[in-house]
Amino acid sequence: VGVEVKVSVTRPPCTGHGRCYSLAPEVYGCDDEGYAVIENPEVPAGLEAQARLGAANCPEDAIVIEE
Amino acid sequence: MDAAATETAAPGNGAPDYSGAGIDFERMGGPEMASAPQPVYKMLRDGAPILRMDNMVLLSKRADIDFTLRHPEIFSSNMDAVNIGNIRPMIPLQIDPPDHLKYRKILDPIFAPRQVAKLEEDVTALVQDLVSRFADRGECDFSAELAVPLPSQVFLTLLGLPLDDLATFIKMKDGIIRPEVFVGDDLEKAAAHRHETALQMYAYFERILDERERERRDDLLSQFLDAEIDGHKLSRNEILDVCFLFLIAGLDTVTSSLECFTAYLAQHPEHRQELVDDESLIPQAVEELLRWETPVTGIVRVALDETEIGGCTVHKGDMVAVMLGAANTDEAEYPDGDVVDFHRETNKHIAFGGGVHRCLGSHLARLELRVALREFHRRIPSYSIKDGVELEYTPNIRSIEHLPLVWESK
Repeated sequence: VGVEVKVSVTRPPCTGHGRCYSLAPEVYGCDDEGYAVIENPEVPAGLEAQARLGAANCPEDAIVIEE
Repeated sequence: MDAAATETAAPGNGAPDYSGAGIDFERMGGPEMASAPQPVYKMLRDGAPILRMDNMVLLSKRADIDFTLRHPEIFSSNMDAVNIGNIRPMIPLQIDPPDHLKYRKILDPIFAPRQVAKLEEDVTALVQDLVSRFADRGECDFSAELAVPLPSQVFLTLLGLPLDDLATFIKMKDGIIRPEVFVGDDLEKAAAHRHETALQMYAYFERILDERERERRDDLLSQFLDAEIDGHKLSRNEILDVCFLFLIAGLDTVTSSLECFTAYLAQHPEHRQELVDDESLIPQAVEELLRWETPVTGIVRVALDETEIGGCTVHKGDMVAVMLGAANTDEAEYPDGDVVDFHRETNKHIAFGGGVHRCLGSHLARLELRVALREFHRRIPSYSIKDGVELEYTPNIRSIEHLPLVWESK
């Protein structure tokens, strides 16, 4: 079993800038109002870097990554 | 004299100073602040990151700015923060939570990426048409021929208004945003002109809404007439207050962004070439240019209560001006913030503001900016600013009213 990475986002502080789902659409999705949604909080192996990229680019620091 | 100023009056006693001693105020009010503000931001961050001027506190560090924008319960965006001639609060910008959320519930879906993406084909056709009118000429005024008409026409189409109203529209938004163009620098005359223009805007939209009331169409105004919040329809005034904001916020900002971006690319051919060689870089380039240029340089909040930012007392009723451009170039956030890099890995700029009032139209703005850069460079991959032209930027919202470009036409 590799390192498990969990990702979460809450609204607020997410205000729908959309940086995460633009940059890392395999980890972050977007609801009908433009806010970030995460369908799979347990980041699949191989997508950890994507998860971190989305978090690092969030202008509201709304994304929490647990490793 | 207020308390904060008294406390900081004696230098050398260890008390922090918020008076801006040691910074060059002339640079703040001069043309550099509009045309090339990044070094001025640095001067502020280094010398006066929290600067008190009478009843205004000016912030230029990202951390302080985030704090302000993320606490709307203290730092309100209500009508006291900005008055531009409107007689009621603009919706949703000048409405505080919790009511703010009710309006965003209606408006967010309309401007969400999924909805906005449906406009890409129309926006592309519009840009292609505008560019084709001057591409073979070898020169254009980028402002008048693309940057101004593009967002205005997108907006007219979206709201379902006749394209013949374009000139009326542009005159109305300019009457509010830069009344000095019409009445000179007299502040009283400017305020009167704004108010007069505001009344014209309300009247204009009243008339169109009356028409839509009689007969719905497939447009935003018709949608607003049928929209509901908690089982209540939007009132006529509420719809007018949304329209007022759209006209003020949706046109000039995209125009200014296009002008700032294109002026930058005209003067940095190596960056421009990157986009021409690889169109897939355009989305990142748009984000980086938004960060670097930050066309809307700052926004204002008003303190609802006495509070403190970084040790500086903020009194109830004080204005708090946050310099978005300074936040976006803050070396605490970006060690290489003064480098423009389309391959930047981390870019959490707040060119669209932050917190609950994050620009409603940001996804539409991005679409327009991306499509405009793509289509323009497909036709005109190499260009420069016409010889001898000194670009003049307007303050606050950094527009370049004349941007003459030249290129070798085929």
